[in-house]
Amino acid sequence: MQNTTTVLSRHLPSRTLGALALFGALLLPPVAANASDAREPDEVYRQVCAHCHAPDKAVGPEITMAFPEAAWEARGNYIRNTVRHGRAAMPAFRAAKISDPELEALIEALVRGDMATTAASEE
Amino acid sequence: MSTTQRILPKGVSEADFDAALARFREILGADSVLTESDQLAAYSKIMMAGDDADYIPSAALLPTTTEQVQEIVRTCNQYKVPIWTISTGKNLGYGSAAPGETGQVMLDMHRMNRILDVDPEVCTALLEPGVTYQQLYDYIKENDLKLWLDPPAPSAIAGPVGNTLDRGVGYTPYGEHFMFQCGMEVVLANGEVIRTGMGGIENSSSWQVFKWGYGPYIDGLFTQSNYGIVTKMGLWLMPEPPAYRPFIIQYQDPEDIEEIVDVLRPLRIAQIIPNAVVIVHTLWDAGTHVVRKDYYDGSDSIPREAIERIKADEGIGEWNVYAALYGTPEQIEVNWKIVEQAFGASGKAKIMYGEEAEKRGGGFEYRSALMKGDMNLQEFGLYNWRGGGGSMWFAPVSQAKGSETKDQTELAQQILGKYGFDYVAEYIVGWRDMHHVIDLLYNRQDPEETKRAHDCFAELIDEFAKRGYGLYRTNTEFMEQVAGTFGEPLREVHKTLKNALDPNGILSPGKSGIRQ
Repeated sequence: MQNTTTVLSRHLPSRTLGALALFGALLLPPVAANASDAREPDEVYRQVCAHCHAPDKAVGPEITMAFPEAAWEARGNYIRNTVRHGRAAMPAFRAAKISDPELEALIEALVRGDMATTAASEE
Repeated sequence: MSTTQRILPKGVSEADFDAALARFREILGADSVLTESDQLAAYSKIMMAGDDADYIPSAALLPTTTEQVQEIVRTCNQYKVPIWTISTGKNLGYGSAAPGETGQVMLDMHRMNRILDVDPEVCTALLEPGVTYQQLYDYIKENDLKLWLDPPAPSAIAGPVGNTLDRGVGYTPYGEHFMFQCGMEVVLANGEVIRTGMGGIENSSSWQVFKWGYGPYIDGLFTQSNYGIVTKMGLWLMPEPPAYRPFIIQYQDPEDIEEIVDVLRPLRIAQIIPNAVVIVHTLWDAGTHVVRKDYYDGSDSIPREAIERIKADEGIGEWNVYAALYGTPEQIEVNWKIVEQAFGASGKAKIMYGEEAEKRGGGFEYRSALMKGDMNLQEFGLYNWRGGGGSMWFAPVSQAKGSETKDQTELAQQILGKYGFDYVAEYIVGWRDMHHVIDLLYNRQDPEETKRAHDCFAELIDEFAKRGYGLYRTNTEFMEQVAGTFGEPLREVHKTLKNALDPNGILSPGKSGIRQ
């Protein structure tokens, strides 16, 4: 039928599928699944940050641009403080949501620019 | 944390609090009992117009099992320590992850995040409170299950249990979340565990399919309340339909809201349009991606002339109806003709779907995502409209009648205008009711503006109540005032239940205005 969307299986980029496969491995078997293990930085970014900070969302500022090494510590402190305390409309994210190890790994990936590719491939 | 700065629960001595903390550490492990200010900072961030000093927790507890929750409440009873329960804590604009009042201990359920069961045959799920919509969404996709979720606007970062317990809404045919809840496990204040509905029957297979069980139905007692701690909740999931057609209908005049509602109501009640439709005002539709200062820089309410410029520039209406049809292609075609005929009768409506709607831009893309249960937080672009991080949802209920809608819109615009705020609003249409959701956006960095927002919200509550309009939900700053609008006899019943179920008043004191 013209202009009526027939629902198909979801098509995801291979990188996302890879991340989902990793996540799925944590979830399976279907019963008693949980997400308590530490997630990779790109998975945290996809699940939490990208919904507002991905370039095509523009709800929050872009956060994936690489910083010069001399600024990594300062930028890292800024991100850590913003995540844990919130800033203006950005909510605070507790350790129960993004654990300390996850946050430190995310910060490292962000300041190095490792996430720029992920951001560009977001839907 | 130094002694002089120490926050204590109200009425609890330092010695008793230390003893309680020691017991909490035995139950949970030291890493899951947070007391340092840096650890607790994330539990103090609020968007509502309250004083930050009124929303500081004394500690946070992070259980992972029901048994731990039982031991926590037993300890709280022993030392009379009040706890404030949160799940994902993303009830933004309603109180977020902050306590109801300073000194309460946060019971943070986010680490209880197991997806216990998803049944693709009867389309049900059994979840713990920390499960997010994103987590469940990923699980469904990974396992190739043909099921849809119904997220509210915070979608990915919020969760089904907390949103349902606060009686939140989404945008698919399953939009009234509590209607699609089925079965709970609840830890009572005395540490006992109950399962509602059919859950009391050992090995029952129908806990998640039959809501009512036997005898009085009590699930509602654990929503918007402080009578127990929900540790598991069942919900119904929508089977993925063979076809889906989102569409938009635009009207250009403020007065058109009456026609929209009166045309929509019979279609909604008859389930021709089955989803939780939204009727979105210009400033909400534009506000998700347009900044106010590009059109008006004054500190008073945005003038009509600027609203008209936004409508022209963005190609949006005064009122923008987002709805969808679901089913087989044949069913959709039949229902589409009915929709076109109904809305086309007056000649005022511009009805669009498919490429025409997509080209129109505005909120169509993200609305289409939410109406099919996808994760999308685009709506939070609203927070950039005015800036400054202040937001409170004023959400009175109305009948789905045009005359009532016109009355509510005019009253809201008059009061917001008096205080210099904008009417950023939408109506979410249930079967016969509507949630008139107004985002009171303000600059929380400005104390004067914050005070104005507080006074404005208080006046909105009172003036709407005088005309017979009550709120379906509110933020922690105004729970007491809103409870008052529903009358003392009802409050006495709430209090009687509280005293019976939680005689020491340890569970979320003040939630929905309910205390001992």
